Amino acid sequence: MNAAVIVADNLTKYYGPRLAVDHVSFDVRRNEVMGLLGPNGSGKSTILRILTGYLHPTSGTAQVAGHDVVSDGLAARRRVGYVPEDVPLYTNMRVREFLDFMAQVRGVAKGRMRAAVDRSIERLSLERVGSLMISKLSRGYRQRVAIAQALLGEPGLLILDEPTNGLDPRQIIEVRELIRALSAELSILVTSHILAEIERVAHRVAILLDGKLLSVQSLDGHAPTSRFLVRVPGSTDAVVRGAFAGRAGIEVAEARANDVYLIECPEGAAPVVHALVHAGLRVDSVAPAESRLEDVFLRLTEGAAR
Amino acid sequence: MREFLPLLGKELRAVFQSPVAFAVIGVFVTLMGYSFTLTLFNNKYATLIHIFFQSAGLLLLIVPVITMRLFAEERKAGTLELLLTAPVRESHVVLAKYLACMAILGVMIGLTGAYALVLGLLGSPDWGAIYSGYLGLLLLASTLVAIGLVVSALTANQVIAAIATIGILFTMWMIDTLASMLPDALERVLISFSLLARFTPFATGAMYTSDFGFFLSTTLLALFLTMRALARR
Repeated sequence: MNAAVIVADNLTKYYGPRLAVDHVSFDVRRNEVMGLLGPNGSGKSTILRILTGYLHPTSGTAQVAGHDVVSDGLAARRRVGYVPEDVPLYTNMRVREFLDFMAQVRGVAKGRMRAAVDRSIERLSLERVGSLMISKLSRGYRQRVAIAQALLGEPGLLILDEPTNGLDPRQIIEVRELIRALSAELSILVTSHILAEIERVAHRVAILLDGKLLSVQSLDGHAPTSRFLVRVPGSTDAVVRGAFAGRAGIEVAEARANDVYLIECPEGAAPVVHALVHAGLRVDSVAPAESRLEDVFLRLTEGAAR
Repeated sequence: MREFLPLLGKELRAVFQSPVAFAVIGVFVTLMGYSFTLTLFNNKYATLIHIFFQSAGLLLLIVPVITMRLFAEERKAGTLELLLTAPVRESHVVLAKYLACMAILGVMIGLTGAYALVLGLLGSPDWGAIYSGYLGLLLLASTLVAIGLVVSALTANQVIAAIATIGILFTMWMIDTLASMLPDALERVLISFSLLARFTPFATGAMYTSDFGFFLSTTLLALFLTMRALARR
């Protein structure tokens, strides 16, 4: 778990005079799903393009499985399966023909090619569309074909750029489940500008803003969030506030419609519920106001904006 | 080498499956056939010199149409990113596209070999001049394709790639016309870069090592610049 598959050290990239990536350092460990989170234009795709050898960094270094992505690019690229953001595919090819081509290009031995392509087709449930032209496939199937090609040659590291972009909710769930399943045997680096997506699949997340790495957060531990939406039916603002009188650390931040209150309590939801019940009020529901990652993201990006 | 053959196969399929290939070959063979027949009936000379010059002139227009899409299309569709992030050498990607273009031009030029056969059946042509003319056409095509590749690698817009390539090729073709207005030293330099001046000896049956070297070195230089253009990303 601890050996690093990716080591990025002070990666910097200028596009002409524009600084796109600013001294970014992070690592991705073996069998870990690492998320790169940031708004559009924060440098996520540029970092992925550097790691996959499509772009060269202006300065800094990156290693994939111990191979420098610039000086030993070919060896580094052999260890990476990559799905770019817009899922580019050769649409004039049939699915199986495309996967055969990519298997050859990715160095799969001729004798093992058929088995490798079959396994990839099976893993991504592409059996039904194997003989179809890629141009005829839906966005969801194209995403699967793109992931299938990335898995050819047993790369050990999968890099996915915004893999749920343009997918419908059912397809998003499928991709999420696929990432979870693949993480048992691969290291995965996945980007998204959608926080909830990253949070659902990643073990750790690196938060980017304007090309700078703000923080790397571990999502393994379930640290409690500090803001809750609590529904107290039949109550008033004054009654709810009164329930917390004399209880340090609990504060009603906002009264919302339908008897819902936004309550802050760094110690978690238990003291809030206890105080309300103790005051004789009925608590219908308690839900985190935002996820822990959302909390961190907002705090970091607000801090950086100041 | 193992990953080069699939790359070449993909490029050959892309070139020969494209309707552009058949349109280009059809137009070229029709025009050249018309010109050959007309000239043969009027002059009754067993020569292909005029065919070589007309073919060269058409190549200046046809090659940009073939090369414009090679990198520009892949860049625009994003498949260049897919290809160059796979474990392949940039030189192999460039070479595969170059050879696929040369294959289609080879077929196109090869089809005019029928005219040589007709001349052989009806008269006694100078076969040396015919061989050198065909060699000259292939060398010229090689340089034109390599230049077209560089331009295609620099843009994602196929129309811009085609127009820029046509501009460069025509300038290089007739740059010797400008030479007479310049001092002697510059005149010689400019003439040495003229595609027309380099091609004429081949078409007329005279082969010089210097002309051969020119076409070969400009091809290699342009292919090298294409690789640099890809690596510059």
